[in-house]
Amino acid sequence: MSALTHATARRATPLGTTTLAGLKPALFITLISALAVAIAAVVSEPFRSPTNVESLLFQMAPLLLVAAGQAVVITTAGIDLSVGSMMSLATVLAAASSSSAGAVVALVLVVGLAGGLLNGLGVVSGVNPLVMTLGTMAIFRGIALLVLGQPGGIVPADLLTPLTTVFGHVPLTFLLALAGVALLWLASAETRWGRTLFAVGGDEGHARRARLPVRRTLLIAYSVSGLFAALGGLALVARIYSGDPNVGDPFALDAITAALIGGVAVTGGRGSVLAVIPAVLLLALTDNLLNLAGVFSYWQYIAKGVILIATLAAYHAAGRPSGLLTMARGGWRKGAGDASTGGAR
Amino acid sequence: MSAVTASPEPKQERRGALRRRLLRSRELLVSYALALALLIAFAIATPGGWEPQRILTILGQNAQLGIAAIGQTVVLLSGGLDLSIGPVMNLASVVSSAQMRGQDGNIAQGIAVALAGGGLVGLVNGLLVARAKIPPLLATLAVGTIVQGGYYVYTEGQPKGGVAPGLQSAADAKVLGSIVPWWLVLWLAVWAVVAFLLYRTTWGRRFYAAGASPRASWLSGVAVSRYVVGAYVLSGICAAIAGVALTAYTGSPSVSGADSYTLQTVAAAVIGGVAFSGGIGRLAGAFAGVAVLVFLTTILETLNVDSAVQYVVQGAVLIGMMLVNRRLSGRGSGSAGR
Repeated sequence: MSALTHATARRATPLGTTTLAGLKPALFITLISALAVAIAAVVSEPFRSPTNVESLLFQMAPLLLVAAGQAVVITTAGIDLSVGSMMSLATVLAAASSSSAGAVVALVLVVGLAGGLLNGLGVVSGVNPLVMTLGTMAIFRGIALLVLGQPGGIVPADLLTPLTTVFGHVPLTFLLALAGVALLWLASAETRWGRTLFAVGGDEGHARRARLPVRRTLLIAYSVSGLFAALGGLALVARIYSGDPNVGDPFALDAITAALIGGVAVTGGRGSVLAVIPAVLLLALTDNLLNLAGVFSYWQYIAKGVILIATLAAYHAAGRPSGLLTMARGGWRKGAGDASTGGAR
Repeated sequence: MSAVTASPEPKQERRGALRRRLLRSRELLVSYALALALLIAFAIATPGGWEPQRILTILGQNAQLGIAAIGQTVVLLSGGLDLSIGPVMNLASVVSSAQMRGQDGNIAQGIAVALAGGGLVGLVNGLLVARAKIPPLLATLAVGTIVQGGYYVYTEGQPKGGVAPGLQSAADAKVLGSIVPWWLVLWLAVWAVVAFLLYRTTWGRRFYAAGASPRASWLSGVAVSRYVVGAYVLSGICAAIAGVALTAYTGSPSVSGADSYTLQTVAAAVIGGVAFSGGIGRLAGAFAGVAVLVFLTTILETLNVDSAVQYVVQGAVLIGMMLVNRRLSGRGSGSAGR
């Protein structure tokens, strides 16, 4: 235990070393999101409508799950580009196998875990996370296309009914996604695995020398990301009512964006899984408002890019000891390089 | 990089340097061996596969990937990553066609505008990375997304104008009655220019140094950020050339035709042994990487393999090559410990 404390305490500031301190970098984005929601609610009549709130929440559910998994992987100074393809794979598995709901869910979860584990195995054997997940992204996409060549298929009714359940105007998938994020947050902040996760992300070499179970921690982190991507795929089924081998593609980048504007440091070791909630809210809100305003939908691309750059610049300018600032100083390369060279040592 | 130490004796020093070069190029050897193996498989698996004309034509048809991969390699050497290559290629496709309006007289103007656009996007990338200190992955991703949104809004999804017929026919033409396609020549020309810059100029020496060890270079008086910005500008220009080449080849502008190129360029560079840590790798590696990808795709296509399986095979090859390179560099660097 003392070795663990040593490895985490090496950081200049104890950010991320306690459950609550880890939330600090998220304060900024939480304020921005809250402000944005308040302004939107006051200004826009259609935004306040219950149907719109419902569709906003439906929209948030899949991204919440994928972004939470992504946040865990980024905390290890890695990255998971394969989550989008994994989501697509989950939707086609749900739509193509005509068995009972229980069997489908079990299959999807097992596939998610196995895919994530494959990523983890590659990373611990020294492949750069970016390249490893780029490769598995192609592999998962290929498998999804093999399962279902075209968008379509039939989702078992006993699976679709619970997925599309709405309490009042709050979708069940949204509540489950929130619960999933909260669970993962607690796991990453309170458990022994979570402590090791931050130690590995902060300085893999030291974590290794402190005899922390680096390999196991990385394997679990990538498996969790795969699992949450598969869950996100199921949440996506609730929106598209079918399977689609390409539907998850944009989610890989959206998930990375969400984790990073939530203050998870790309060099690893800092941030909080819980911070993806305001970040996802902000992204979904942008899409939603642009839609309501009837703006040509491709402005959303521009808006997202500007949000990402502006948030990073704001973190930088504010000079706060957030992970993003450290990341900006150290550069992305350092984090990714550490993760890959560390694996070979 | 290698554990070989230079001895005072000139002859031995030369031998040491040679051995060092061989050690350093082991990744290169592996990638060329793989490319050669795939070439042989291609020749056996497809009728008439040995004909040089066919091989050259296939390489010429993929010149745009090769040119874009050169840009990606340069950025990787600087220690960065360029995820805006696909969007820049589409941008070049859209703006050059809008300028040319299908007329031969406007070719120069169209190409100039495309190159300027690519260079400008590269400059923004470079400044965000080097000055604003935003990690390359995010900066280029965000800029790429903005560029993508930009041309979608500009074209409303429907590209204006058209490719000049002169450029279109050049894409299919061979050099003066020989069997060498013009686009292959274009690819080799871009390679030659960038190779000259990297290997034969002071700029290139400092560039490699800045990529391998930014801190040491900065302490020795190299303006590292200038070299980083230069890498992104070069990559933007390469992507713009690739975009125009692709449009000329397909014959019509497209807002999404080059989307897959971003990741393919990364794959090509990585297969060719270019390291993510910066400063390690050569342009020849990117050529081998492109050849591997191209021959692999062609073999799978001629064997009528489902495109789904093609994805799986490509992913597996990428991961496999990375594992092999990992092994090689682990043994090659030894105690020097990169």
